[in-house]
Amino acid sequence: MRRKEFLENIRHRTRSGRYQPTRAPDASWTPGRRAAAAREVGDPPSRFLEELAALGGHGRRVKDLEGARDYVVELARERGARLLVRWDVEELERLGADGPLREAGVEVAVWRDLEDFREVAGRADIGLSTAEWAIAETGSLVLESGPGKGRTVAILPPVYVAVVPVERLVRTVPEAIRMYAGRGSLPQNLCFHTGPSRSGDIEQSLATGVHGPGEVHVLLLG
Amino acid sequence: MEKTGTEERARREGLASGVEGFNGRARRALADPELHDSIALFTRKTLKGRAARLAELPDAPELRERAYHIKQETMANLDRYLGQMADAVEARGGNVFFAETGEDVVRYVGELAREKGAKVITKSKSMATEEIELNRRLEEEYGELGLEVVETDLGEWIAQLAGDAPSHIVAPIMHMNRHQIARVLSGVAGEPLPPDVKALAGFARRRLREKFLAADIGISGANFGVAQTGTVCLVTNEGNGRLVTSVPPVHVVVMGIEKLVPRFEDLEVFVQLLARNGTGQKLTVYTSFITGPRGADELDGPEEFHLILMDNGRSKLLGTEFEEALYCIRCGSCLNVCPVYRQTGGHAYGSTYSGPIGAVITPLLKGDREAKDLPHASSLCGACWETCPVGIPLHDLLLKLRNRQVDEGLAGKAQEIAFKGFEEAVERPALYRAGARLGRVAQRPLVRDGSVRRLPPPLSGWTDFRDLPPLAERSFRELWREGID
Ligand code: SF4
Repeated sequence: MRRKEFLENIRHRTRSGRYQPTRAPDASWTPGRRAAAAREVGDPPSRFLEELAALGGHGRRVKDLEGARDYVVELARERGARLLVRWDVEELERLGADGPLREAGVEVAVWRDLEDFREVAGRADIGLSTAEWAIAETGSLVLESGPGKGRTVAILPPVYVAVVPVERLVRTVPEAIRMYAGRGSLPQNLCFHTGPSRSGDIEQSLATGVHGPGEVHVLLLG
Repeated sequence: MEKTGTEERARREGLASGVEGFNGRARRALADPELHDSIALFTRKTLKGRAARLAELPDAPELRERAYHIKQETMANLDRYLGQMADAVEARGGNVFFAETGEDVVRYVGELAREKGAKVITKSKSMATEEIELNRRLEEEYGELGLEVVETDLGEWIAQLAGDAPSHIVAPIMHMNRHQIARVLSGVAGEPLPPDVKALAGFARRRLREKFLAADIGISGANFGVAQTGTVCLVTNEGNGRLVTSVPPVHVVVMGIEKLVPRFEDLEVFVQLLARNGTGQKLTVYTSFITGPRGADELDGPEEFHLILMDNGRSKLLGTEFEEALYCIRCGSCLNVCPVYRQTGGHAYGSTYSGPIGAVITPLLKGDREAKDLPHASSLCGACWETCPVGIPLHDLLLKLRNRQVDEGLAGKAQEIAFKGFEEAVERPALYRAGARLGRVAQRPLVRDGSVRRLPPPLSGWTDFRDLPPLAERSFRELWREGID
């Protein structure tokens, strides 16, 4: 009932208005097409790595799974990590980092059947995931939520690592948005994640890792 | 700032009550050199970043046009799009509540907190909740629940601790320097903290993390709502928005009805414009698109999702000559370019929304009598309109508001004559543009070392105190048009 009245009121006001804004809608607009064509992205993998570096993130192109695995294990060692939490997805199974990590004394929590995700993700030193897409123009990762794909893996631990096959690079933000616009149903949570958490609230000085990870590593695979 | 938080708040509230009005508050701000330095630092940096980021976007003028038209379409069919949004959210298992007023929002959230037995509520920055003073009212009106409502944006949290109001849409504590901030946080820490950005941010991280993990309810605003899919789009740089909407079992969104866009693809236009104009970034660090509560097979994310669609006076603007004020995406760009804002800061406006857009929407939402001075807190140089990524004719709306005051008998005689004349000119766009070009030429003799030393009355009030930045030699509009041809 409340909803009906509320919307009636709004309909009444929009209809009763005599005022017409002067500019008419442009019917010829095609979302993204012009933008994508006009923007030079060049070689998407190098552009992605450049953009990420400019934001203070760490990007690296790795030839194969071994390369990626070694990087993750080495990073965990260097940071003295005790707990790593990772997505429960096939690609990370294939990465095969769990064994070497455990050998190096790092506990690995996989995102399934966790009793209390807050406790685990909140205690982890490193979060590890894949990404659906990566955007070259901005150095962004496109993360979807879903079974096995915890949202907090990418945000609660102070160090975050993502492994993304290089063929999942798209060039521009409009391209990425259009992929989802064309879908019948969106994931519950979709996030374009661009570099380390940052704040400029104190005297415009950059502070990283205020709430989210201060360190972001992206491995482009292939 | 030797005063305690409460005294500081009382001082500001005293000012905000309109006793002194804009001029009094502005004069005080002008006499505060620290404040002036802070604003200058911020606006200069942001404007530089913005210009660089926009230059990389070859279709910036097109996006701006498109944004205007999308908003125009949205407002003309707002009832339909709101209904669509509500249906889509419900189809995804979310709850929708239509709130006529701020009271309705407070009651809904308060009762929800009671039902859930909530103690800690984490909140990410939202102007809509600022507008209705949600934090204070929840804590006061639902005192028996013992609620703790914590702002989690670093700047907003510091403002909350200091008992201070945010002074900028995007950079809430731009008016404070790190010594002042260190004093506030030392009070909370119970030990002296050094005035060092890293140390202060580190302390905030530790403190707020406890709150994130303990929260029963997370409240956020919405930068955009997508009618077609029921999606709420939220952007933050620190990641607090992502934590507030992922960790607590309940997520409540408070969204002004004007934040809607019809289709998901429309976000392509708005997320790019918001980041580039607001902070000079290509994209905000976290741009989240949230559609309903977590899925049955997900381990984290909220179990309940509540969308509150808030009117609170907005619908009064629909179908009127002020409708375009509803197109605002709160990027803060018009504040940064405004010569008046740049001299006085946000608190001089004595309202939630400051700068040119604040001077327009405050009287529209609260009534002309409540905010009589604000439409006059502008030099009418048009810089706000030039910069606005949605193309809102802010200077034009300011004039219309002044005119409305004349019609309502709220303005003095001299004003009445002066502004009627000006408005006639502005109503004929070609004439106005010619006038603006003339203005840029005419000011030349006054420009010294890149700023305006003295302006003729009635603007002399400003330059008696401070130098004004000169009007741009050529407007964005002119530059863009030349760029395209
Ligand atoms: S009026 Fe325009 S420039 Fe000002 S905050 Fe709103 S969108 Fe930004």
